[in-house]
Amino acid sequence: MNDSFLRLVNIVKRFGRREVVRNLSLEAAEGEVVALLGPSGCGKTTVLRVIAGLEAPDEGEVWIAGRKVASDGINIEGPRARHVGFVFQDLALWPHMTVAGNLDFALASVSVARRERAARITEALRMARIESFASSYPDQLSGGEQQRAALARAIVSRPGLLLLDEPMSSLDTELKGELIGEIAALQRSLQVTTVYITHDRAEAAALAHRVAILREGRIERIDEIASL
Amino acid sequence: MALGLAALLFIVLCALPVFYMLGVSLVGADGAFSLNHYFRLFAEVRQLDLFLNSLLLATATSLLATAIGAPLGVLLARADLPAKRALRILLIIPLAVPPYVMGLAWIYMGSDSGIIAQATGRDFLSPLTYSLTGAVIVLSVSFYPLAMLAAEAAARGVDARMEEAALLVAAPRRVLWRITLPIAAPSIAAAALLIFVLALSEFGVPGLLRVPVFTTEVFTAFSALYDFGAATALAVPLLALALMAGITARFMIGERLLVGRRGARNRSPLSLNSRRAGLAVTIALALFVLLPIAALALETGRAERMILALRSSVEAITNSLTLAFVGATMAALIGLLLGYARARMHRFAGTVDLAMIVAFAAPGTVIGVGLIGLWNRPGLMEEIYRSRLIILIAYLARLIPVAALILAAGARQVPASFEEAGEVAGAKWTRVFARITVPQMRAGIIAAWVVSFILAFGELGATVLVAPPGQATLPAHIYTLIANAPSGEVAALALTQSAVVMTLLALFAVFVFREKRLHS
Repeated sequence: MNDSFLRLVNIVKRFGRREVVRNLSLEAAEGEVVALLGPSGCGKTTVLRVIAGLEAPDEGEVWIAGRKVASDGINIEGPRARHVGFVFQDLALWPHMTVAGNLDFALASVSVARRERAARITEALRMARIESFASSYPDQLSGGEQQRAALARAIVSRPGLLLLDEPMSSLDTELKGELIGEIAALQRSLQVTTVYITHDRAEAAALAHRVAILREGRIERIDEIASL
Repeated sequence: MALGLAALLFIVLCALPVFYMLGVSLVGADGAFSLNHYFRLFAEVRQLDLFLNSLLLATATSLLATAIGAPLGVLLARADLPAKRALRILLIIPLAVPPYVMGLAWIYMGSDSGIIAQATGRDFLSPLTYSLTGAVIVLSVSFYPLAMLAAEAAARGVDARMEEAALLVAAPRRVLWRITLPIAAPSIAAAALLIFVLALSEFGVPGLLRVPVFTTEVFTAFSALYDFGAATALAVPLLALALMAGITARFMIGERLLVGRRGARNRSPLSLNSRRAGLAVTIALALFVLLPIAALALETGRAERMILALRSSVEAITNSLTLAFVGATMAALIGLLLGYARARMHRFAGTVDLAMIVAFAAPGTVIGVGLIGLWNRPGLMEEIYRSRLIILIAYLARLIPVAALILAAGARQVPASFEEAGEVAGAKWTRVFARITVPQMRAGIIAAWVVSFILAFGELGATVLVAPPGQATLPAHIYTLIANAPSGEVAALALTQSAVVMTLLALFAVFVFREKRLHS
């Protein structure tokens, strides 16, 4: 038995003949933020997709909250059952729904009662500091506002695990700094286990308790940011 | 210079007959401005029935064709089906075969001795054969592939990330209904509008099934009663409806009319049950492709009858093949220049799109009457009017807008920087266009040619009006034979028409397959 909230054991993922993730193992304790740092194409996003259940690992196991959710090519639990929040690199906000509609879809899908949904949406929007844009459509928002909306959508269902895939890659430095501070505060108040992907050392340093450096599908080093 | 010539040809061949119809409808018997034709028409109660019939036919066809086509398109995009390319081509056949051929198949199928009555031992279709419902069914089968292709392209264009984000919280079926379909909806709705316009301007099927609508009335007013004023005034409500549908479609999908949605960047995580999808596609193929062909073959009967029918119609077949070949080639060339100009245009782009949509939507019978009014004049014009050239002109009037729209989409895919690089290297515009732009648009040019050929080869509405005596094309020949020849002969010719179109479609499929393999 292991007390890690998230545990990846010897994960291998191939696309055709190309091995994108190679024998990767990683653990995160409950409430911990682990950053995966590495250059483009090193397999960071694939690791996140394997955790979310959007890809099945060809080899190895994925454990979330003590449950084995994937093992040797099979997703034992699908994405829905894993109860994760995901902020995609391109945000993937549904363009035909308002910001509140995006959040509501996430809640209604997991059968939260209508009255409770309204309260939860307001709370998530407030935490992501985007409550005044509840009835705006994604294309009416600025880059930073879209970012906040995607974050609000990821946390609204109170996930056990938050996965962030380079969510700030398209923002300017000033806005990035502002948002990192907000995400860190949000994470502290929610105490949700978080895996954060980035290729920016400063971002990793500002957010993560530990940083794993990925190269060619393998973890090269993993340690606290100060030691790295 | 070349672009100017193409624009001039568009104005003379496509726009002028339509404007001429509008103009003549506003001139009285004394040659002065008058609304008499309209007063006369709108005073008749019959006109209201006509309007309702046309509207009902177009609306019901649009709804039914979309209800059939859109789910098939989503299945093609999202289900794991074997030999998907071949299935797609087979499912497109009803669109490539002229609607009136499908109408003939419907008549033979539904008769008391038809394939349905023979197979089931009961005759339940014959009361529906010559009815508005019958016309809706036939046209829906003819046009559903448009909704299918639009839905497939739109579903493929939905970014996989959007679906993945939803799959984290919702079941696949809910994701399909709430995320994929709403994002794809504008393109599907635009296809439904296009089907509406096509059904509205269709002449062959309502003519064949004796459903009085505006297009058949224009034909009757002109060819039976020779009431030119009434024929022109009847065309106006049709054009107005087509214009409204065109404007709505243009606003709905905007520039996507030309660009086509960018392909999804990632493989979609949604996969539909392939066994059920396979069953649905098989049923569609059996009902919409095999059954009509079987009905025509059964009516033809023996092979000797086929040979006999072909022998007696050699001239019409040769005429059709030659004119469709020349027409498609000219339309592709003119469409290439027009489409290119439209793609690189910044101002008036919306107006040009609308002009092309309306010219495309103008019914064949309207174009036919317009061309007769314009070209039946003494001198050189009469010479042209009395020759096969008038059929070619009718083809071009109908085909240039289609070819131009297809090729404008093709030209938009060629980055302007390719041409700028050529110009910087010192090449003249003509050289850049011929050596850089055109080769990049090869697939689009061939597609425009194939579509133009198929449309020309099946063109009936305009040809039946303008074809000089003894110069009929195959569709016009079949249409006149329907009343005076044994049904076996008519069925044999309709089968020939279908065979030519299917052969061409198969060749095009092989070309597309090779192109894709070359690029992958």
